[in-house]
Order: sequence, then C-alpha cells, then structure tokens
Amino acid sequence: MRLSFIAPRRKPFLSLFSKMWVIFIGLMSLFMIIFNFYIVIEMSSFKSGVVDLTKEREMLEVKIDEDDETIGIILRQKALSEEIFSNNTLLKESMKNLFDLVPDQITLKKVQMERNSLILYGVAPTQDTFNFLLAAPLKSIFHTSNTTFYLTKEGWYNFVSINKIIGEDGLIE
Amino acid sequence: MNSFDRSLDKIDIMKLLIFLMVFIIVTFAFIFLLIIPNVKEHRILQAEYKRVLVHKTRVENLFLERETELSKLKAENAHVISAFKHPFTQEEFIRYTGKFFSQVSLTEITKSEYKKEFVEYELNVTSMLKTPTNFYNFLEGLNRYSSIVQADFPIHLESSKESISSTFKIKVYDLNATKTH
Repeated sequence: MRLSFIAPRRKPFLSLFSKMWVIFIGLMSLFMIIFNFYIVIEMSSFKSGVVDLTKEREMLEVKIDEDDETIGIILRQKALSEEIFSNNTLLKESMKNLFDLVPDQITLKKVQMERNSLILYGVAPTQDTFNFLLAAPLKSIFHTSNTTFYLTKEGWYNFVSINKIIGEDGLIE
Repeated sequence: MNSFDRSLDKIDIMKLLIFLMVFIIVTFAFIFLLIIPNVKEHRILQAEYKRVLVHKTRVENLFLERETELSKLKAENAHVISAFKHPFTQEEFIRYTGKFFSQVSLTEITKSEYKKEFVEYELNVTSMLKTPTNFYNFLEGLNRYSSIVQADFPIHLESSKESISSTFKIKVYDLNATKTH
C-alpha cells in the first residue's frame, strides 16, 4: 500500500558536504605524500651523488699524484740533459779555444786533455816563439805551466808543456 | 547527485567542526611526522652534497692545471724525453759518428745507476779524424743525438801523417728500465 505520492529515494551514505570534505582531505594527503616522495627521491640522488663524487675525486687525486710524479721525472730529465748539453758545449768551446790559441808557427803533435790538466806535445821553431805565443796565454789560464824543450835534428824545438789547474772545479776554459 | 541533497544549503555546524578537526589533525600529522624530518635530512644531505661537489671541483681544477703543466713540459722537452727513452746502441752511435770520424770503435767501461732513475754507461771512443773541425761538429751535433750522450775527459788527440787519432770518453744516460713509468 502506497502511502506517499512520490517515489522513495535512496538516501546517499555520504551527503554532498561530507563527500566534498573527504575528497578535499584525500587530495591534500595525496599532495603531501607526493611531496614527501619527491624529497625522498632527491635525498637518495644526493646520497648516490656524494658517493659518485667522492669516487671521482679519489680517482682525480690518484691521477694528480701520477702527473706530479711524471712532472718530477721530466724535470729531472730536463735538468740532467741541460747539464749534459752545457758540458758538451763547454767542451766544444774549450777545444775551439785551445786550437785558436795555437799560432801557425807552432805545430801540435799530441794533445792530452784531462779535467784539470792539459799536456801539449809539439814542435816550435824557437823557444821564444813558444814562450811568447803559447806559453803566455796558457799561463793565464792554468795555475801551473811547465815546459821542457829538446832540440831536433832540423834545429827546431820539440816541446812538452804540462799545464794544471789546482782546485775543485777545474774545467779548461 | 540528486537535487534533493540539501546538505550544502543547511550546513550542519557539528559536521563542519568534525571535518575541520579531521582535516587539521591529518595535515599536522603529515607535516610533523613525515615532511619536517625528511626536509631536515634533505637539507643536511644537500649541504653535504654541495660540500663534496665543491671539493671535487677544486681537485678537478688542480688536476686540469697539472695536466696542462704536464703537456706543456712534454711539448717543451719532447726531444729530451724521447732521447732518454731511446735505447743506446753501439751500432747506431758508430753510424752517427761515421759522419765525422773514421775507424770508430767503442769499448764499454762501466755501467752504474745514476741519480735515482738513470743508468750511466761509460764508453771509450777511439777514432780517426781529418781535422779538429770534425771534432767540434761532432760535439755540436751531440746535443741533438737520439740518445743523451756526454763527451767527457780524458781526450787524447795525436796527429799522424794524414789524420788525427782521437781517444775520448762518452757517458750515455738512459732511463733505468726497472723504474720506468
């Protein structure tokens, strides 16, 4: 038996007002969770970034050490080669100076160059020629300079001139 | 939604208060229990990351500096480096000296370690030469030779009828093979 003129309506479990609130609170929670999730992801990326950067830094430090060592080796090679090259140049200059020193009248037969001494064997027309032209400059270079002469059959003089530098660093100049 | 819902027209003040309370409690719970501790940790990690990044950048700059220094040194001393690496052979040296001297012979005297990473060989060279100029030229070219060679005392020169015979010492420097890098 119908007592009402209108059809019955189902009463909703939640009213519109309640639904709006539930949706609002739900959305807000979702936003918070998403934000938190974002922070957590970024934190883990920082953590792995720190590990990666530390590894990279340690690798670079090892490479720097290797480079330093190589630089040291090259610098030592450079220093040694410069010393050798200058010694070679000095030796060349010494020899050149020696041969420039010898005048045309005097003929050298034998030259013995040591670090601190120079022994010359040769022939000179007269003793004076030797004394003026060669002995004088030799005396100015070396600390001691001794010459012995002996006459040859042709009337020239064979000489042996022993010159020495006394001291520690005695390169012939 | 049917049009008979009047919950928005007549707002139940109790319901509103209850929902507001729930909203506030949920929000605060999220903020205090989750977001604030995480943000704190995030900040600490970010600072740590930045610190590590700055440190790494400094080291990297230092490394780049060293690399440029090294490549500059390598370029400047290319001849010296290759000369030290080049193994000294008597045949090659005799071939080279052949340009200046004739009848070259070498005898090895000693071989010793020199200053940490080098090996020093001493050899006696006997040769014949036409004029002393050849000797200068030899010494001049020695600095550009493919190995590091130093001509040294004693130098003996003796003239005969045609040419000059010479005896002198050379010192050859090589990298110590056991300590090469």
